[in-house]
Amino acid sequence: MRGLKPTQPEIPQIIPAGTLRHLSPDEIKPSTNNPRMLFDPDQLDELKKNIGEHGVLVPITVYQPKGQVKFSILDGERRYRCVVDLTKEGHYGKDHKPLKLPANVVEPPSKIAGLLYMFSIHNFREGWELMPTALSLRIVMEDLGEQDNKALTKLTGLSEPQIERCKKLLTFPERFQEMSLDPNPATRIPSNFWIEASPVLDLAITHVPTINKLGRDRATDKLVEKYRARKIKSVIHFRRIMESYELNEDQPNTRASVLRRVEEFFLKPTLETRQAFDEFVIEKKRVQSALNVCEDFLKELGKLKLTYTADDDERRYLREALHRVHEYCKSLEQALRGSDDPEVPHD
Amino acid sequence: MRSLFHILKAVSRFHDYGPQPVTFSRTIRWIKQFQKQDRKIAGHLLDKIIYLSEKDTRKILLHQNKVLMENLAKEGLPAKKLVYLQTDEAGSSSPVMLSMIRNEAGLQQRGCKLLDSRDALSINKITNKLEEGALIYIDDFVGSGDQFCSAREAVQKSVVGTFSEFLLVPSICEEGYQRLIDLGIAVYAGHIHSRAERPLHANSHLMQAADRIRLVEMCKQIRPKTSLGYNDLATMVVLYRNAPNSIPAVLRGSDKQTPFYGIFPRYKDLPINRG
Repeated sequence: MRGLKPTQPEIPQIIPAGTLRHLSPDEIKPSTNNPRMLFDPDQLDELKKNIGEHGVLVPITVYQPKGQVKFSILDGERRYRCVVDLTKEGHYGKDHKPLKLPANVVEPPSKIAGLLYMFSIHNFREGWELMPTALSLRIVMEDLGEQDNKALTKLTGLSEPQIERCKKLLTFPERFQEMSLDPNPATRIPSNFWIEASPVLDLAITHVPTINKLGRDRATDKLVEKYRARKIKSVIHFRRIMESYELNEDQPNTRASVLRRVEEFFLKPTLETRQAFDEFVIEKKRVQSALNVCEDFLKELGKLKLTYTADDDERRYLREALHRVHEYCKSLEQALRGSDDPEVPHD
Repeated sequence: MRSLFHILKAVSRFHDYGPQPVTFSRTIRWIKQFQKQDRKIAGHLLDKIIYLSEKDTRKILLHQNKVLMENLAKEGLPAKKLVYLQTDEAGSSSPVMLSMIRNEAGLQQRGCKLLDSRDALSINKITNKLEEGALIYIDDFVGSGDQFCSAREAVQKSVVGTFSEFLLVPSICEEGYQRLIDLGIAVYAGHIHSRAERPLHANSHLMQAADRIRLVEMCKQIRPKTSLGYNDLATMVVLYRNAPNSIPAVLRGSDKQTPFYGIFPRYKDLPINRG
């Protein structure tokens, strides 16, 4: 309940069964997560060294699912993996017996408690596909009756933009969701496809009568077909379509041409994204102008040599203005990273 | 004379092998590819095949499934809490095994759920609804466990709730068995295929070293990259509907069965116009 809205449903807690046991590693079932992907290898090595010297001091938390002989780990995957490694390397405990782990045995977690634990693990994980996360988030939202992004952030540890992205994925019909759950990476449609395609679909449905008549699902099918035919070479290219429309806000004739091209783009399978929209986005000139603006801004502001002002109001106004500049630049820099950027971990 | 005995025995044991039934003439054709002094060894190799006919396979699966369901019921998991998962696409071995026991064990009538391991959305929905239960993977053979683990990893991403895991399989290699036990997956198998049972495996003493080396050399000539099968497992289990990809090349034959004619080709090894 800490820090959540008063209407927030009770978060299910793990119920201790009140037994402390000492388990050998082969009595424990490893989780399906690879700790080398989840945790800093240096920290893991440090922990292993400590356990090698002193043994496991803090008990891990385990439970036993019905029908399973081994115990599943709820908390303490790192300690367990270290003991497994040490055992393989031939280490023994101080009593010269095989290493064991002290373990608090608890009741199996409820579905929601298990899901929230899964979220807490996967927040560390890079390369986790967004669609399975979205499905889990849907269960959390349905079971706890919670839709508010801030509350969901506190529950799951996902950032608000991640939650927003998950929600967007969940607006697509299941047959499209399934395409992002395909175990074969070669045929899987990346989750980002739906997120980037969404505003383009909105645009086409709202402003292009033939696409509106086609309906959202069939229009989506057209985009999937194009993607599979490699006529959308990167999902980030969808942004080009939106840029083409938005940049020409003051030019009705060009906007009309963009909408005609949008129609053609949907209906002509062979038309590639950049081939269709590059002419509406004179990118090089814009980028150069933006670079010049940045240079001029820094130069002009530097010239003022402003580090102090005695007037409190002026100081406040200036700080607010700088804050707005800072926020805008930050959001622009993030947007320019792009969803296909390998540095972006969430997908 | 001794070769004739092996041939007759092979025909009697392997006559219902799906991809290419083992007949008298086919066995003679296969054995004649060996040099005269090696034909006895080839016959000896055939003797060591562990063949699971359709009847054997069905019997093992039904029995293991019965035991598993009884054990789970004792643990508080009735049939309606059990999710059976085929681990491969339709038409391949896993779905065939599942359909084999589905009717005879009355899985659906008893309330069990039957799913495809690649159907992530259904796995998510069903496990969300059940909240706890058992996932029972089913296949006909597990070698190293690589393929199984890959399918299982995909399944796990969609599972919600607390589920124990089991594998129902007529035969499994000791390598795969150990790997699955380490992962906490309980294996219900009719047969655990040890290395010692595989004459061409380096750890086996079923064959004289010199004979083994000669046959291994032949395997290398037939299939240079997978001479002893996937991961060099050199397995000897053959199922009525197909041989695993881990059998030695001398049994499987060349791709399209040319130049070396196999006694247990896989479906994909056969020439398309085989008539």
